[in-house]
Amino acid sequence: MLSYVIFTLTLCGIYALLALSLNLIWGGVGLVNLGLAGFFAVGAYASAIATGAGAPVLIGWSAALVVGAVVGLVVTFATLRLRDDYLAIVTLGFAEVIRLIALNERWLTRGSDGISGIKAPLKAELGLQGFSYVYLAIVTLTVLGVWALLRRLDLSPYGRAMKAIREDQQLAAFAGKAVLRFKLQAFALSAAIAALSGALYAHFQSYVSPDHFQPLITIYIFLAVTAGGVGRPSGAVFGAYLVVIFLEATRFATEWLPGLQPVQVAALREIMIGVALILVLHLRPQGIWPERIPKAPAPSTSPTA
Amino acid sequence: MILILQALINGLMTGALIAVPAIGFSAIFAVLRYPNFAIAAYATIGAFAAWWANTTLGLAVVPALAIAFAVTGVVGVVAEETSLKRLRDKGALIVAIASIALNLVLENVIRFAFGNDMKGYDLPIARDLRFGELRIGPQQLQSLALAVIIMAAMFLFLRYTRFGKAMRAVADNPDLARLKGIDPARIAIVTVFLGAGLSGVGGVLIGLDTSIDPLTGYRVLLSVFAAAVLGGLGSIPGAVVGALALGIAEEMALIVTPATYRTAVGFVAILLMLTFRPCGILGERAA
Amino acid sequence: MMTELLTNRRDLLGGAAALAGSAAFPRLAPAQGAPIRIGTLTPLTGAGGPYGPVMVKAVKAVIDEVNAAGGVLGRKVELVSEDDQTSPEAGIRAARKLIDVDKVSAILGTWASSVTTAVAPLCWESKTFLCTVSGADSITALPHQGYLIRTQPITALQGKKFGEFIIAQGAKRVFIVSPQTPFAKSQIDNITLAMKAGGGEASSLIYDDKKPAYRTEIDEVLRFKPDAVVFGGYTPDTAVMLKDLYRADFKGLKVAFGYSVNQKLVESVPAEVVDKTYTISPSPAEGSKAYDRLVKLIGIASPDPYTTQIYDHINLVLMAIAIAGDSSGAAIKDAIRKVSQAPGGAKIDNAIDGLKAIAAKQPVDYDGASGPCDFTEIGDISDSKFRYEQVQAGKIALVKIA
Repeated sequence: MLSYVIFTLTLCGIYALLALSLNLIWGGVGLVNLGLAGFFAVGAYASAIATGAGAPVLIGWSAALVVGAVVGLVVTFATLRLRDDYLAIVTLGFAEVIRLIALNERWLTRGSDGISGIKAPLKAELGLQGFSYVYLAIVTLTVLGVWALLRRLDLSPYGRAMKAIREDQQLAAFAGKAVLRFKLQAFALSAAIAALSGALYAHFQSYVSPDHFQPLITIYIFLAVTAGGVGRPSGAVFGAYLVVIFLEATRFATEWLPGLQPVQVAALREIMIGVALILVLHLRPQGIWPERIPKAPAPSTSPTA
Repeated sequence: MILILQALINGLMTGALIAVPAIGFSAIFAVLRYPNFAIAAYATIGAFAAWWANTTLGLAVVPALAIAFAVTGVVGVVAEETSLKRLRDKGALIVAIASIALNLVLENVIRFAFGNDMKGYDLPIARDLRFGELRIGPQQLQSLALAVIIMAAMFLFLRYTRFGKAMRAVADNPDLARLKGIDPARIAIVTVFLGAGLSGVGGVLIGLDTSIDPLTGYRVLLSVFAAAVLGGLGSIPGAVVGALALGIAEEMALIVTPATYRTAVGFVAILLMLTFRPCGILGERAA
Repeated sequence: MMTELLTNRRDLLGGAAALAGSAAFPRLAPAQGAPIRIGTLTPLTGAGGPYGPVMVKAVKAVIDEVNAAGGVLGRKVELVSEDDQTSPEAGIRAARKLIDVDKVSAILGTWASSVTTAVAPLCWESKTFLCTVSGADSITALPHQGYLIRTQPITALQGKKFGEFIIAQGAKRVFIVSPQTPFAKSQIDNITLAMKAGGGEASSLIYDDKKPAYRTEIDEVLRFKPDAVVFGGYTPDTAVMLKDLYRADFKGLKVAFGYSVNQKLVESVPAEVVDKTYTISPSPAEGSKAYDRLVKLIGIASPDPYTTQIYDHINLVLMAIAIAGDSSGAAIKDAIRKVSQAPGGAKIDNAIDGLKAIAAKQPVDYDGASGPCDFTEIGDISDSKFRYEQVQAGKIALVKIA
């Protein structure tokens, strides 16, 4: 039981990083990335391939950050001129392309076999139990670090500029903000965080494959961010923990239902997840831990939604 | 040459399958201004409704299509009214996300009721017609004709009927439309009925060529989106043109790229199109 | 808290059932201790959805039967079914729950190779036994320390059989169509090898498995002028391929893996589309009753290979627990080959007979529904016959077992 809890908490942390990544661009500059699973995959593969070639784990993680940011820049460059709804659809396509590349380019990714035996840092030295504790600590500390960074960003003039862009691009541009540059930077940073999350996942499980990165993960993260409260890093982290615990709890909840086929139980679990997201959007659209909009210093700037 | 011509024909026939749900998606987008992910589930529901009508009631294709249209339209309206409507004023993205969740719910309701087993229509299958070295599927030709007819009907409906004009008025400016005495809520209901119903019809057409299971609609979701974006989001003729263009691009690309990358071809086509023409082939504005 | 409640409830149920059992079967020792838990981790949603539900059904049927006969070691057997959602990410979460919370003795039926590869380390680290139907050859090469057996024949063996069968049918040119699976390349290589050895030729195409039509792909197939086409996909995409091949008026030989063209597919497409298609699946030798028993047990006339395999998993695992006198994963690991291939053992085709034989201290050699179920040191089956079946007027009919 304890190892299940440790495992679930570690996974919560990995989801929390993804939620922070999404929150940064969605809550930050108002862009939607439905290709989150794609960036998650990019990071996981980047670190798996780098460490597979002999690089130490820390170098692998750094590689994931860099590759994630670069891919993020490329995607943004290709899409930033698009309206939000177009962008949402294009990023969805991006995730599928990443999955296809991972699936078909055997020379790089070992194709549908996936890469197994990815280095688990210090596992040999610490043993199974020790490793799971230490890895939980690593992931949790990373979440704390990224959270602190994004919180500072959020409260800085930079963060305020981002939110101005989210609320009204044209007004922000008019006020002299370099909208495109802000968007590029935010998207690249967000992609890097998602990639880091992927790298942490890869070394936690020692295995990645194209099947890992299905759109369902992206749905979970959207559920996390909306549940926690868009626009606030604390909300995103809280939401991610809530979602993973909810996902796991649905297993136990459905065991109480007698007379159902296993496939019906499985369907019911996914129904519960969908209904939860719809309910949260309706009942608490600002999230459980809503964004605090800092008071404007002067009464002149009225937000236009 | 034959190779290219055949790929062109194949592309038109594959594109026709995507065109009808793409029309449904675009109709909803045109009036309500959000990308509805639940059309995947609507397509699946349509396919199952027609399957039920066909295998249980023994109905032929056309009446089965009508039943699929009606059932999916009603499901769409109920789903919209209960789960999406009140989110509309929170912005298109929130509604889009809710529609992803709605899609997950509906897909699993189908799974709960019917299981995962594949089902097929009790309908004959025809061999392709041959014209020299070229071959054309008669049933696929019917789907293509149906897509064109639906497109034309929608287009005429929007352009010339009072209701259609009201829909376009709401699409352009809901507040102004309200001033003119048009009830946007009613327009929204009719639009969703049409959009969901057409997605359901599209699901049947896809089911005729494939087989049906809870993932029938989901498998083509990306293609439908790609078609709608390619043609210009919110444009009805654009949806058809986009679907056919996507179909042709995918089949043509097969001549030079590995078949496993077909979905990627569609995605690259979107990117290229949007780079040079950010509003799609027939769209209004994208940037 | 919730799990504690659950455990108590289970104990209660287990106890009650055991009481009832001991009343009905006074000769058997009364049930003692906690129930033996067996986990299934099959795809119930996602791309593997067409296969998972019936697999669980088969396991449930065997467990019910065994419980009705008094359980194993006098203990009730309990099934815990989890859905891997055809994703290793979800699969791992489900496996952790099975291992850490339910404390299952064994996990049965992992289907996607990626799920098996992801879950296998959790199993050997926690000393939980894992039985899989996945096809990737790399799986048994994992450092699993004996905690894994796989009933799906290695692709080299299957590919060879396909090639030889096609040559024997008089076909010289074969075209293989398959989506990108972990065993696609190996299948194609091995069929090609066997074709060349028989003086034939082969070509292949890997397709995108989510498309509603494959017309241009079929054009490429036909340009090769094949005498035979081999289908290596799963049912939804194979149905589309078969239909488009029919439209293109292909008259040659059609051969498919047993999981590509199963009974559900045959029922869901017009009869002429799939008529005369041959399927090849792993099988026990002629005369083994396990397959017929399974058919009766689940009420499906032609269960596909995954169902026959998971049926063998549950039978083997329950017998291994009985012979070891211990339900731990380590005990199953050590005992599994004592029931699957004991030298000179009685040929047994179901767990009930097996449990009786074990109680009578007889050696046991299980012959299952998917094959003789003899395992090599690394957990692969050492040999298998194959069932050659043909779709005839909407039914899957046995042609031969060889």
